[in-house]
Amino acid sequence: MGKKQKIVVVTDSSYQLHDTGGGEHPETYARLEEIIAILSAGQLAGQIKIIKPRAATRTELIAFHPEEWLFRFEEAALAGQTYIDHPDNQISYESYLVAQVSAGAGLSGVDLIEEQLGEVVFCAVRPPGHHAEPTRPYGFCFFNNCVIAARYWQRVYGRTRLCIFDFDAHHGNGIQTACEEDPDLLYISIHEHPSFSYPGTGWENELGSGAGKGTILNIPLPPGSGDERFLQAMDGDVKKLLDSFKPDGIIIGAGFDGHLLDDMSGLRYSVDGYYAAGRRIADWSRLFCSGRLVSILEGGYHSGILGKCVESYLRGLGAEPLNEK
Amino acid sequence: MFIQDYMTVNPVTATSDITIIAATMILGENSFRHLPIVDSDGVIVGIVTDRDLRSAWPSSIMSDGNKKAGLDLLSSTPVENVMSRDATVIRPDSTIDAALLLFESRGVGTLPVVDLQGRVVGIFSLKDMMAGYRRLFGLGEKGSALVCIEDNGEKLMLSSLVETLAENKILFTRLIRKEKSGGRPAMVYLRICSMNISFVRKVIEGAGFTLYHPVIDG
Repeated sequence: MGKKQKIVVVTDSSYQLHDTGGGEHPETYARLEEIIAILSAGQLAGQIKIIKPRAATRTELIAFHPEEWLFRFEEAALAGQTYIDHPDNQISYESYLVAQVSAGAGLSGVDLIEEQLGEVVFCAVRPPGHHAEPTRPYGFCFFNNCVIAARYWQRVYGRTRLCIFDFDAHHGNGIQTACEEDPDLLYISIHEHPSFSYPGTGWENELGSGAGKGTILNIPLPPGSGDERFLQAMDGDVKKLLDSFKPDGIIIGAGFDGHLLDDMSGLRYSVDGYYAAGRRIADWSRLFCSGRLVSILEGGYHSGILGKCVESYLRGLGAEPLNEK
Repeated sequence: MFIQDYMTVNPVTATSDITIIAATMILGENSFRHLPIVDSDGVIVGIVTDRDLRSAWPSSIMSDGNKKAGLDLLSSTPVENVMSRDATVIRPDSTIDAALLLFESRGVGTLPVVDLQGRVVGIFSLKDMMAGYRRLFGLGEKGSALVCIEDNGEKLMLSSLVETLAENKILFTRLIRKEKSGGRPAMVYLRICSMNISFVRKVIEGAGFTLYHPVIDG
């Protein structure tokens, strides 16, 4: 890396208080511990600065989630329920507060970008968010962190046209819901084909509707797809749509469960693939929106590879531009 | 599974004395291709399709005079002159499987749905059938994923599989067995309701079943 750009990691030890019950549940605090350990001691060690997020307020959350869901979630946690709606969505007494801080990280990230352009901002958060629908949790997600950050960015800083690009192995159904009829919020997702993959949404023909028609781009990849197809999609249809949409800011739903060793999907990306993706994303942010880019962790569950994937992605984000355009 | 769950209720119908021009207008205004024809009690007496009506229309290469004469004739000709009197119909308590076989064997695109007295109570199209199977298979349902398991040929395989899933509290909504065909192995398809696919695979393999991993490229 040439310029040794500072990399700000927004994260908090309070994330460990969201207890998913142990056993076979893959979404645990150990994921974040692994990421922080590798970033703190690895190739990026000298560039990492860790910042604590703030909690998202009720007003900020209801930009996507109606109050009925906030009440239901908080009540379930305080009443000692162990999950909401489905055993996937395990909770503990502190989960509501932790989810507020998880959603708040994206807001802190947006503030950082607006105040100190030129930094790489990565929010290492849990619980993840992209499956969360307005009134119900799905797939380990309770508040939709990316959408809440996007609405905040639009409202507080007037960055109207935003793109959420999601490279998690699973389709972000909740983000798509937010973009469905919104002409200013673009959702692009590259994920494993919904015939085989949770949550069973994200088909190519889902394009948005009404005023939002054309603001959704789903690129489902067949099981077994590796870096080549992943990067081809980014260089092709994704770049083409960004060229016409011209976002004022980009939020990345950064999921790392597409790695070959992660058995939560059938995709076969490599650690180097995430580096290449990071370089492309950094290029887009320079080209379209003066570097206004915030990445928010979604999935990635393989102990031993997740941290390396995140490090590789961040190295890509901080690398020299691919195209000086 | 039943027609009444997927049919369009209270469809537009017409009596056999309306003119071909009027029937054409009904189809055009509603973007339909099939119009059930009924008597004064609503009992089906035939069906007319856009193709039947087009075939009665004057040719575009006719002289203006002949075309006008043809159109004048259509405006006074009742639709019963061009309708099919032996409409293929289906009952509301019949199944979409039965409709599929009728679509295949009769070469029709839409089935009027009639009650015991022959009164039209709905209409069921190929599109309705696709939507029906889509719902039956759970296609596009949020929160699900498909797992493919090789069929081991044992008679009680599905029962054993269900027991394994129940023991491990794995929720699922669909279980389908596909016979061996065209050199392709027999397969079991399971639509599970969980993000934790890693755990699901572990449980299924741990019980001695073999997962099939579709791999398109490396």
